[in-house]
Formats: sequence, C-alpha cells, structure tokens
Amino acid sequence: MAVAELHGGGIAEHVHPEPHGFIRKYIFSIDHKIIGLQYMITAFIFLVMGGMLAELIRVQLMSPHGTLVSNDTFDELYSVHGSTMVWLVIIPMLTGAFGNFVFPVQIGARDVAFPWLNMASFWMFPPAGLMLYGSFLMGAPTAGWTEYPPMSLQGAPGTSMWCAAIFLIGVSSTLTGINFLVTLLRMRAPGMTLTRMPLFCWAQLATAPLLMIATTALGAALAALFIERQFGVPFYDPTRGGSPLLWQHMFWFYSHPAVYIMILPAFGMISEIIPTFARKPIFGYRMIAFSSVAIALLGFMVWAHHMFTSGLSPALQLAFMLLTMTIAIPTGIKIFSWVATLWGGKIHFTTAMLFATGFIVTFTIGGLTGVYLAAVPFDLHAHGTYFIVAHLHYVLVGGSLMGIFAGMYFWFPKMTGRFMNETLGKWHFWLFMIGFNGTFIPMHWIGLLGQPRRVATYDPQFWSSNFAASLFSFIMTFAILLFFVNALWSIRRGKPAGHNPWGARTLEWQIPSPMPYYNFKKVPMVFASPYHFSDPLPYRGLEGELDPSVPAPVPAGHH
Amino acid sequence: MAVAVAHDPSSGSGQAHGVDRLYAETRELRINGFLLFMVSDLVLFSSFIFAYLYLRQTGQGWPPPGISRLDVAFAAFNSVVLFGSGATMHFALENWKHGNFNKYAGWMLATIVLGAGFLSGQGYEYWTLYTKFHASWSGAGIFGASFFTLTGMHGFHVFMGICYLTILFLQTVGGVYTKQKYAGLTMGTLYWHFVDIIWVFLFSMFYLWQ
Repeated sequence: MAVAELHGGGIAEHVHPEPHGFIRKYIFSIDHKIIGLQYMITAFIFLVMGGMLAELIRVQLMSPHGTLVSNDTFDELYSVHGSTMVWLVIIPMLTGAFGNFVFPVQIGARDVAFPWLNMASFWMFPPAGLMLYGSFLMGAPTAGWTEYPPMSLQGAPGTSMWCAAIFLIGVSSTLTGINFLVTLLRMRAPGMTLTRMPLFCWAQLATAPLLMIATTALGAALAALFIERQFGVPFYDPTRGGSPLLWQHMFWFYSHPAVYIMILPAFGMISEIIPTFARKPIFGYRMIAFSSVAIALLGFMVWAHHMFTSGLSPALQLAFMLLTMTIAIPTGIKIFSWVATLWGGKIHFTTAMLFATGFIVTFTIGGLTGVYLAAVPFDLHAHGTYFIVAHLHYVLVGGSLMGIFAGMYFWFPKMTGRFMNETLGKWHFWLFMIGFNGTFIPMHWIGLLGQPRRVATYDPQFWSSNFAASLFSFIMTFAILLFFVNALWSIRRGKPAGHNPWGARTLEWQIPSPMPYYNFKKVPMVFASPYHFSDPLPYRGLEGELDPSVPAPVPAGHH
Repeated sequence: MAVAVAHDPSSGSGQAHGVDRLYAETRELRINGFLLFMVSDLVLFSSFIFAYLYLRQTGQGWPPPGISRLDVAFAAFNSVVLFGSGATMHFALENWKHGNFNKYAGWMLATIVLGAGFLSGQGYEYWTLYTKFHASWSGAGIFGASFFTLTGMHGFHVFMGICYLTILFLQTVGGVYTKQKYAGLTMGTLYWHFVDIIWVFLFSMFYLWQ
C-alpha cells in the first residue's frame, strides 16, 4: 500500500502502443521525446532566419548612413528579428523542446499528461512562424517586437498578421503550460516527491504557470489590437477615447513574466550541468528550487518597470523600482549556489560545462545591468537607447542561448546516442564568447552616450563602436554555424556515447540512448534526491532497462 | 473527484484504472487540465475587464455620449434566466449521479433552452442599443469597445457552452458515460458554472455601476 500512496496519478504504468510508419513516428507523433525534437529542429530553423535578419541589421549599421536597406525595411527587420527570437526560438526551445524532451523522463513518467494536446501544441508552432514571415509579403510590422500603438495601429497590413501569428503561438504556449503543470503535479514516479525532483523539473514547474497565465493576457492584448486594426473598435487610439498606455500595461503584464519563461528553464539546465561536471551535490538545492518559484511570482508584479518613461505616477514608479530590485535576490541566490557548487569540485571542462560556466559570467553581467535599469533615474536616461539592447542581449543570448547550447552539448548523447565533437565544440564556445561579447559590450557605452535603438542611421561619432560590433557579430554567426556543422555531422558520425557518458544521476541517463518510446520498462521507485554523487543511485526497479533480454512493456489494452 | 487508486506495480500489469486504451489520460487528469484551462480563460476575461476599467477610469468618453442608462431591469431578468440555467445544470448532474436518466434529460434540456433564452435576450438588447442609440461595436467609442467585446465574448462562451452541453447530451443518450464514470458531464457543469460566475462580474460592472 505504501507504493499506492506514493503513486502520483496511478497511470505511470501506462505504455503507448509502439508507433508504426514514418508519419505516426516522426510527423504526427504523440511521443514527448519526438515532439521535443520537432520543436528543437523548428526552433533552430527560426534561429537561422532570425539570425540572418540580425546580420542584415548589423551590416546596415556598419556605416552611419548605411544604404543596405531603406529606413522602413530596417524597421521591419528588427521587428521581425525580435519577434522571431522571443516567440519562435527561445520560448519554444526552452519549454517545447528541452521541456518536452527531458523533464517527463526525469520525473519517471512515460509521457506528458495529454500527449495529443502536446502534438496539437507543436503543430500550431510552424504555421505561426510561417505567418510571421508571411507578413513580409504584405508589409511586415514596423513598431518593434513590442508593437506599441499608435504606431502599430498605423503599421502595414502585416501587423495584423503579426497579431494572429503571435496569438497562435500564444495558444500553443498556454496549452503546453497546462500540459506540463498537470504532468509535473500528477505523473511523478513513486517516491518522486517535489523536493526529490531534479532542478530542471523545478524550473519547468515554475515556468508552466507563467506560460498558462501570462500568455493568455498577451492573447487579450493581441486580440484587442487585431480588432482595432481590422474592425476599428477603439481600445488604443487616443483620438477615439482609447489609451496607448493600456497596450503597454497588457503587453508587459505578459512580457515581463515571459522574460522569466525565457530564462528559468535555462537556470534549470545549468543546475543539472554544473553538479554533473563538478562531481559535487548541488549547493542549496531547496533555495535554487524555491527561488525559481519566487522569481515566477515576483515576475507578475514588476511589469511597469518597462514604462518608467511613459508617465507613471512617481509613487508607482518607486513601488515598481523596489519590487524589480527584489528579483535580484532570488537570482543572486542561484548564481551564488552555482559558484558554491563549483567551489572545491572536481571540474571537467567539457563543452557543455564551458557553456554553463560561461552562462554564469555573461548572465551575471546582463543581470547587473538589469538592476541598473530598475532604478528610475538611470532608466530615464538609458531608456530607448542601445544600453537596453545590450542588456536584453546579455540575458537572452548570454543567458538563454548559452543555456540552450550548454543543454545541446549535454543532452545530445541522449537524443542520438552519440557525442558532439568536443574540439569543434570548444572552437564554438570560444569564438561565440569572443563574438558575443565583442558585439554587445560596445552597445553599453554607445547607449549611455545616447545612440537610440531601432534607427537605421546614427551620428558618425558612434561609428567605430558600431563597426566593431558588426565585425564581432560575424564571428558570433560563424561560431553558431560551427555548432550546426558539428550537430549535423555528429548525428551519424559522432563518437558513440553509451547510455550515460557524463556519469549523470538523473533518471533520463539510466535508460538507453536514444530513449525507447516507452521510456522505462518498469517505472522506477525513487528514494532520494539525485545529486549525492558519492551515494549509490537512489532508484529501484531500473535493473532491466539496459538489458536487451528484458522485453519491452506491453501497451495497455494490447495484451 | 476521488483521487485515482494506484494499482500495485508488482502485479506487472500494463493497465491502470480508468486509462484510455489509446493514450494515457485518466478522467482525473482531464479534469485537472480542464480546471487549468478555465484558469487561463479567467485570465482572458480578467485582461479585458482590466482594459474596460482602465479605459473607463483614464480614457475620455465615459459615460458613453448619447446612450442613456443601460436597461437594468431587462438585464436582471436575463441574468435570472442564466443563473436559473446554472441551477438546472446542477440538478441534471445530481440526477445523473443517482441514475435518474429521465429527470437528468429533462433538466439538461431545460439548461440548453435557458442558455439559448439568455442568448436571445442578449441579442434583443444589442438590437435595442443599435436601433435606439446607434451604438455598435466600432461606433460607440470605448463604451462599444468594452461593453460589446466583453459581453460578446461572454455570449460566445455561452454559445460554446450550449454546443458543449448538446454534445454531452447526445453522448449520454449514446451511452458514453455511466453512473460512475461521467468526467465529461463534470467538466460541462464546471464550464457552465464558470460562465455564470463571469456574468455576475459583468452584470455588476456594466449594469449596476453606471
């Protein structure tokens, strides 16, 4: 009976029927691992597209009066670049791709709670991306990824297409959030209590409600913008009684939590990679877990710090400033816990570990400029300048994207059964670090000196920094190309890795690579947290997983 | 709903209680997921309610020029129709649980009819606003934007609810649910009550606070 009490939803033993045929196996799959890889491939395609837009922007800015594109086209480039990277790359990659692929196995489940809903969520994603890029055909949005009215009300017809595309990807996110939350709360293996969950699962547990709640608020804002543009119903147009500030409130009520959607799962990945390669228990497990939840809660109370220059009352500004600065506390707890985990550890600098330690450095820089920007007097000066661009790229590229690369090198053997090439990986890391910092460090000072963001031309005094940023951005792009070459080459030709090449202790490493469609032959029982490297593994029931003579489990209703 | 009874893993069986043959969704999980869906739906309404309050308090154009008070008496009558449908829905579910199919069917049909009655009342109200005050979605400033969007969204939910209940009714006639297993009916009831509760807020904020 003890087992029954520990059992989450009573369905952990369920096994899908084995999928047959290419279409059921790889296209309309209900297997969370395949869906995760589908998200991953799609998001990488959009990373290439968004990256090409970024390079067009950097080429245009190589001279103060660049002539590569017209001013209007430049507006389209940065608007679609931002929208792509936020909604089509970082969020799907961290939740849809890594979330789907990793966490259900880590909690000892055979799939997510609603596999068909999961498939539906994924299949909203490519059409949404195509719609966003289709907007170029009818005049893409030009008011930035934030699409503030009244400019977005006057934008080309593609702006309405943008609304529809982001709404669709929002529905996909909401459904993913619901799916993940039910899975995490109800489908854990026997003995997998909340405080025995790997920290990546905690990160997903903190992210799922954000996906579910914040994205719906964005949906309302987008619907209102769409309705106003298409049917002339006044929400935002000040000449007809509406309020442009209303959009800013609704948009940032979503988009500030979205900032944490884009970083919490990366925190989770770093929390798995650092102890594995330092061969030490993670320092402050509970504090890291609870700080994710604290960040998620605080994330709902700070949205107006994006609006300090929009005419908020000083009392509100003060409140939002203080609340925003509070977020530095749980974030600092994580940073210090990772550093303390490294302290005295036996560190193996694999490529995954290089990216994880690089993440700590670059994310901390981005986090610090975030605290500057939370201060109202500083924000009044830096708002709308390249300082903001530097800050957000340090957290999104130096944070989220570095986390994604760390996760790729770490979990690639689990996806394919093969290592990625470590030499190429190290070239990727160092070129990426040089290129990334070289691109975005100069933006701090040209921003403080007053170069406005989102403008196709600039004062010639900023030329040298802009030119350097563009040159370094080519190095960064080259580094990402190396990554793609490495990944594509390693899928077939990489060194075979076995089931647990890193000596990691979470559940996904105890079963074969690539993982079979049923995940576990027998659902394991969990006795302790996975991070105590000197103890035996805290699982029971995994004996037959790697033994080919033990038969695969029989699907429900098929015996 | 009772928590699912876990089976003994040592039995070696691949089948847990109440698991779909095709995929791993128990009734309990579905109800959990449905509750979370309603939470996010609530956020959708809350966002538009926030927009309404924000526009009303900070924007220009409230009270709506050219429109005298909304007809509270008629809306109150219409609300009683909707809340009555909540009561009939409750009786329908209770009778299903006790196995009284005929009573269940009567209450369920009454719910659908009352829901349709509420929608007709709302249509009549829109028509009156349009013919008497020329108030339309896009032609009445922020009043049109907030009133027609929110009540229209609610009306759409009622419409979807009527479709949902009709499907559920056909399913019960077709024998999909049993006296013990009726998760679909539970979710339908939850949804219908949810739509009722939203209307309490909309009614107070548009009709009682003028």
